Amino acid sequence: MIRVNHREMDFHGEMTLKSLIEDLKYSFPNLIVSINGKLITKDKYEETLIRDGDDIRIIHPIAGG
Amino acid sequence: MNMTSIENRAEKIRNAHKLLKRFEYKPQEVQRGYANKTLYINISDNTIEAKEVAEEIKEKFVGGKGFGLWYLWNAVKSTTKWDDPENEIVISPGPIGGITQYPGAGKSLVVSLSPITGSVMDSNVGGHFGPLMKFSGWDALEIQGKAQRDIIIFIDGNEGIVEIYEAPLESVNSHILAEELTEIFAKSEEDKRNVSIVSAGEAAEHTLFGVLSFSFYDKRKKVQRLKQAGRGGIGTVFRNKKIKAIVVRYKGVTGNSNNAADVNKIKELGLKLHKEIRNFDKEQCRMREIGTAHLVEIMNDYDLLPVNNFKFGSHKDAHKIDSKVLVKKVVQGSPDGCWHGCSMSCAKAAKDYELKSGPYKGHKVVVDGPEYETVAGVGSNCGIFDPDYIMECNFYCDTYGIDTISFGTTMAFLMECYEKNIINKDITGGIELNFGNADAAMEVLHQMAKGEGFGKIAGMGVRRLKKLFIEEYGADPKFVNDIGMEVKGLEYSQYVSKESLAQQGGYALANKGPQHDEAWLIFMDMVNNQIPTFEDKAEALHYFPVFRTWFGLNGLCKLPWNDIEPEDNHTTDEPAKVPEHVDNYVQLFNSVTGKSIDKEAMFLQSERVYNFQRVFNLKMGYGTRKDDIPPYRSMGPVTEEEYLSREDRYDKQLKNLLGLEPEGMSTEEKIEALREYKYTQYEKLVDAVYKRRGWTEDGVPSVELMKKLGMDFPEVIKVIEEHQKGGFR
Amino acid sequence: MKFLQKDETLCIQCHACEDICAQTYFKSSDREKASIKIYDYTERGELINVCSQCGECIDICPELAIYRAKNGVVMIDKRKCVGCLMCAGFCPTFSMRIHSEFLEPFKCIACGLCSKQCPTKAIEVKSIG
Repeated sequence: MIRVNHREMDFHGEMTLKSLIEDLKYSFPNLIVSINGKLITKDKYEETLIRDGDDIRIIHPIAGG
Repeated sequence: MNMTSIENRAEKIRNAHKLLKRFEYKPQEVQRGYANKTLYINISDNTIEAKEVAEEIKEKFVGGKGFGLWYLWNAVKSTTKWDDPENEIVISPGPIGGITQYPGAGKSLVVSLSPITGSVMDSNVGGHFGPLMKFSGWDALEIQGKAQRDIIIFIDGNEGIVEIYEAPLESVNSHILAEELTEIFAKSEEDKRNVSIVSAGEAAEHTLFGVLSFSFYDKRKKVQRLKQAGRGGIGTVFRNKKIKAIVVRYKGVTGNSNNAADVNKIKELGLKLHKEIRNFDKEQCRMREIGTAHLVEIMNDYDLLPVNNFKFGSHKDAHKIDSKVLVKKVVQGSPDGCWHGCSMSCAKAAKDYELKSGPYKGHKVVVDGPEYETVAGVGSNCGIFDPDYIMECNFYCDTYGIDTISFGTTMAFLMECYEKNIINKDITGGIELNFGNADAAMEVLHQMAKGEGFGKIAGMGVRRLKKLFIEEYGADPKFVNDIGMEVKGLEYSQYVSKESLAQQGGYALANKGPQHDEAWLIFMDMVNNQIPTFEDKAEALHYFPVFRTWFGLNGLCKLPWNDIEPEDNHTTDEPAKVPEHVDNYVQLFNSVTGKSIDKEAMFLQSERVYNFQRVFNLKMGYGTRKDDIPPYRSMGPVTEEEYLSREDRYDKQLKNLLGLEPEGMSTEEKIEALREYKYTQYEKLVDAVYKRRGWTEDGVPSVELMKKLGMDFPEVIKVIEEHQKGGFR
Repeated sequence: MKFLQKDETLCIQCHACEDICAQTYFKSSDREKASIKIYDYTERGELINVCSQCGECIDICPELAIYRAKNGVVMIDKRKCVGCLMCAGFCPTFSMRIHSEFLEPFKCIACGLCSKQCPTKAIEVKSIG
């Protein structure tokens, strides 16, 4: 089980941060992502593996209208 | 429309002007952001007066919307109607308005009683009129009364003249009127940049959601561009008063026309923002490239783009109207700020755009826009994914003087009613109002301008249309009230709030009606899940609407606050507040006025005005809990079609939130169960918000709160106490 | 087009260029009023900062107050300038100058007076095109 923005999600092996973001359909180009409190930059999404129990924050800094 | 014809027409138009009143004054320099005088004009008897601005009023109301609310409060009774001569239109920028260095400093607030809500309305607009009016010597302009025949008002801030003219020959429609008046009042080509015009249009005479256009002269395209004071129908009040236009001419704007206390600090902050925008706008919101329209594809991806009267949040054809398409419609590489020094430059325009319909068919025009709200409102929300229709509709709404948001949401409502056979071709006069029928929508728009046919009926807006359909055409009240997207009489702006309880509150609790200027919490709530509890949501719904009010007190645009962020913003404690920018604004206020506010005092400035507006609503017979309840379409699936389109999502909600088993339930049962749950949640949210704001359970600011805020004017307390006694309608 | 060409390898940081510029255009010994700036290399990785007459500011200026003169030099028309400082914010080389005593920015106009003062010929007015 992982938590994304405080919500529980199923975990399966072979989950990268990139694939997680794609599964969630989070297409916004400027996400602020942290795993267990550590900030991950965009260039590292593909190589970052998700582990069971991870606490993931994917913040959209969208100001809107 | 060629130049010689404008010049010839201008002569004829000027010769037909009949001077009704002339008022001379000695223009004085603005001091620390304030002219310290307001201009009062009564167009029933052509009184023109200068009024002093008391220190207490500056302290309690600051400027902009604050001044507008104060002057209107004193002008109207609780029984005053929008079309009574007593109703005023008040235009006011604010103390920071008119600085040239910091982005977004040209805004004005327009305040009046709204035809569409019946209560006090405030509407925010860019362009040059506000600052030029202030530098001409006036912190606010109040217009009361009604003219007998069409007039224009002219303010010359260099000569010190205010004139009222009978004006029979000018066009009523903004894009022509603005050019005619510029030709008449500008002394040369060079001088055109010193002239700004406020105008409405023909459709503002026949609909309840007329807008005001405020111009700024585009020196590159050599045309007056039009920005709108969009919400609430103040353009309708304008034409009802028989005002064609207000013109200001002021030459001499400098980097310190406000005579600021510390202009070097303003320069420093402005330069800092210019560099921030230069460095980061491309990778953040692309405002300089395409403005607010960058949101179209984002909203679509997150199921938030309104489609078919807010039924759905996305559509397979959304890419046909996204920013990649729209950027090709507008002049490339030509970002425009609507006041000097706005490097955010979110304004865009198409040039030589050939119109395909209506009275200007075949003309090549400049189209300012389109903004996100227009694309979503007249486009996707009506099931229309034709970018050319959007451009043309944008143009005609602007020149005819109607609100693209109200037009879009009203048309969407009508289309759904048509498809559900609540109205039919007999009623529409043959117009086939199906979702996606752009020609039909355009025909209704042209009818609105002429005051003919179904357009006249459509122009009443959603609230009155619902009533009409229930009373005259036997529509099911429950259904029609569910799908009619309005609160307090104002149509919703273009975000799907179904999955965000906080945004449902943000919309339905807003003072003026469901406009997103008070709160835009969808991502914070729905996606980022940063405000999970009722208390968290209440805190956000306390902070943001009040904080966002501040821009409208000071002559500022909110976009440079959070549509550009410092590089390290995400490392701050509360990135959604963009703390460094809040700090900039505190410094800007102090640098202009010479005062020493901090963030707390800044919040208090807004809190005063925000609560005053709530009591003003109360004065006009609104502003209690019953006026804060949203239509169900803004909260969840009304129809089977909607439920089934997101069946997984809703079934999960039934399971996880309600502990129900969707298996044995019919879709109708599932819809009802979800609906009951969502309204219960909503009521809990309202309880939490009222408590946090210091309001009673009925949503009224307490007397204690008004005392604490220093807004316990005797009439304010009287209004609250009358309500408590149950003595109000 | 006229512009001031620079060769940083020759600069000995004597500031004579700044002095003559500020003196000529503002009758001042305040080096901050010079259109050319000599930095310490460690500050910004450059020694000599001066406008290259690239003209990017022409399109940035909302007032059309910046234009290219006949000799190619980029000039500010003070009558149209409203002191918004967007040009300074967007200048690719940060060569548009601001001073606390002036509302409007100012810039190098490639007059060449500084190059006449420079003892090492680190700066010279050149013409291209």
